Amino acid sequence: MLELDRITKRYGRDTVLDDVSLDVEAGRTLVLFGPSGSGKTVLLRLIAGVVVPDAGYVFVGGEDMHGVAPEMRGIGMAFQNFALFPHLSAYDNIATPLHAKGNGVTAVQRRESVERVARLLKIDHVLGQRPGELSNGQKQRTSLARALVAEPRLLLLDDPLRNVDAKLRFEMRLELPRLLREQGTTVVYVTQDYKEAMALGDRIAVLDAGRVDQVGTPEQVYLRPANRRIATLFGDPAINLLDAQPAIDAEGVHVRLSDQRLALDPGLAHAVGRTCTLGVRPEAIGFGAATDRSAIRVSVEAETPLNEKIVDLVKTLRGREILVSRPAHEPGPAGTDAHLVVTTADALLFDRASGERIVPAADGAVPPTRAEAAA
Amino acid sequence: MNRLEIDDVTKVYDAGTNPVAAVKSLDLEIRPGEVVALLGSSGCGKTSTLRMIAGFESVTSGTMRIAGVDVERRPPARRNVAMAFEGYSLYPPMTVRENIGFALAAGGTDAAQIRQRVDDMAGMLEIDGILERYPSSISGGQQQRTSLARALVRDAALHLLDEPMGQLEPQLRTLLRGRIKHFIKERGHTAILVTHDQTEANALADRIAVLEGGELQQYATPGVLRDRPSNLFTGTFIGEPPMNVIEAVPDVEGARVRLRLGEGVALDYAREAFSVPVLQLLESRSHLHLGIRPHAVRLGEGGGAPARVTVNQWLGDQSHIATAFAGATLVAVEHDRVAARVGDVVHVTLAPDALHLFDSDTGVALAHGRELA
Repeated sequence: MLELDRITKRYGRDTVLDDVSLDVEAGRTLVLFGPSGSGKTVLLRLIAGVVVPDAGYVFVGGEDMHGVAPEMRGIGMAFQNFALFPHLSAYDNIATPLHAKGNGVTAVQRRESVERVARLLKIDHVLGQRPGELSNGQKQRTSLARALVAEPRLLLLDDPLRNVDAKLRFEMRLELPRLLREQGTTVVYVTQDYKEAMALGDRIAVLDAGRVDQVGTPEQVYLRPANRRIATLFGDPAINLLDAQPAIDAEGVHVRLSDQRLALDPGLAHAVGRTCTLGVRPEAIGFGAATDRSAIRVSVEAETPLNEKIVDLVKTLRGREILVSRPAHEPGPAGTDAHLVVTTADALLFDRASGERIVPAADGAVPPTRAEAAA
Repeated sequence: MNRLEIDDVTKVYDAGTNPVAAVKSLDLEIRPGEVVALLGSSGCGKTSTLRMIAGFESVTSGTMRIAGVDVERRPPARRNVAMAFEGYSLYPPMTVRENIGFALAAGGTDAAQIRQRVDDMAGMLEIDGILERYPSSISGGQQQRTSLARALVRDAALHLLDEPMGQLEPQLRTLLRGRIKHFIKERGHTAILVTHDQTEANALADRIAVLEGGELQQYATPGVLRDRPSNLFTGTFIGEPPMNVIEAVPDVEGARVRLRLGEGVALDYAREAFSVPVLQLLESRSHLHLGIRPHAVRLGEGGGAPARVTVNQWLGDQSHIATAFAGATLVAVEHDRVAARVGDVVHVTLAPDALHLFDSDTGVALAHGRELA
């Protein structure tokens, strides 16, 4: 449905997009994820046609968009700042895209379209009100309704949940995928929130400084991140990164952490001798008994509740800090002296210098994607 | 270590023509060595309260005492409070190091000691690499950490922190929260932080004052706020994902207690599952609101009431599953990856101790899970 082919964009000496190629199948959602300045918004504007690439092509529905004006591309957009007309009612705001000259939409059809999309977004009861009289959530839904009403073949959403409160953001995170599926819309969605990216994306493109570092399903990005930076961007609390030197003995490949041996994937033999960083998710570490010979002795520095989880910041005797996370109802450390048990089944190994993930010889299959599961 | 007492404090702005009460009859006591968060959305009165404590705003009525002394007539500089305020900017002509050590130098601490303390603080907040730079050349997140360092490095009667971590890089946040909590506790600082972010409040505070519309909704530990919210506002405001709320008609008959929900669905319990006071409460009410934390919802193959999966989102460390249940949406959280697909029928079990009961009209909490059984 959408294909971006080797897109490059420069502003003066700054290359803001560097050889970006991406595609989105019809009816699917691609999330553009990355910190501010990574090029997400420029890419979105370029698809919309308000920014012209220095090199590369944008195809929508197989058609080269070069020279096609933004309003002729069949694209809908919604923004984080809502961008509603303050003097128009919610109804008239939503109806604006249907007023284009010569589109042949009758007044009756217009009313039907606006009311249908308003019902879908649960704002049919506030259609007569102006933006100033709407709550932030209603404004955000109005902006979304306006983007959807003309049934665009492609919908571009620029961080639409950024300025709404946590409760509404959660509600929309649940509702949006169903809504988009019902519309059958192809979506490019920009966000800086990894949970939103994982919840909404069939696939996620992780951008860094104008380049695409990885494109994959939420499962691929979380469980098989291409590099250390991506591993730290997905997950809260962030993954623990520990300097490590893989070694091999009769029992297999392992690293040592505070004199304890931690077994690694046998397929990582080629990492032996390299200077590495071991990535262990806080969820993969638990508290064990002092009698457990493989446990690592630590002191508990602070315990901080995080939603329904409890996060402990602990320190090894050598002063390494480690974050440990558990569901709130599970027992925690008995005192300030505690013993850690580390599960390394899902541990990740990165080359310390380049940050690239060191891929095991037989990289375990990634669990089925959302799309496959739905099929 | 100092106690702060806020006694019946009200703040009214523009008292002349169009008075706006930003804070209404607030009572709050902060014990020596305690970390308290003022939590609420914009306009709830949290920042006005902090500014009154600091002395930037006058108190319209009521009293405010630090260590037993009424501070109303004392200017900010004489209240011995250390502050990290949003927009309370760094001194541009000074390096990060000079900014952090400024108050210590002004207070006569010797240079070697200042150097050591600034180094330790900068290491803790991961700004040791930028100590010789100027504020204009560092990022927003680094500026915020510098401002925080400048406040925490001081030994003051009170530390006031306004949205101290809003700009921080998400990857650093949890680690720094842990370090800051450890530091504050070790030093025995008394601190008040203002935030709209419940995760920050929960992580750092011993007690949280939840404010809404200038009024205190509840003042309690994070655990009590989670297990015993005083009303529907706090119940649904704190917790992520938010608490599920469903209307119910109680029906106590013989040995069974039924909570009738929408679409003919009823939750069915043995009478013994509830305490006598709760049974009396249920008998006396024609309807009430049930609150159920998503983490307390159990989804299974059989038993319980049927629900249809509408969303299953895996977020790496947990799954959020929304279901169509009794004419409402019921959200469940599982700590694993769940196989349920959209359209699947699952069975919902809500243990008696997972229920919170609220008055349907006032929203006031009537009873909580732990005391139901």
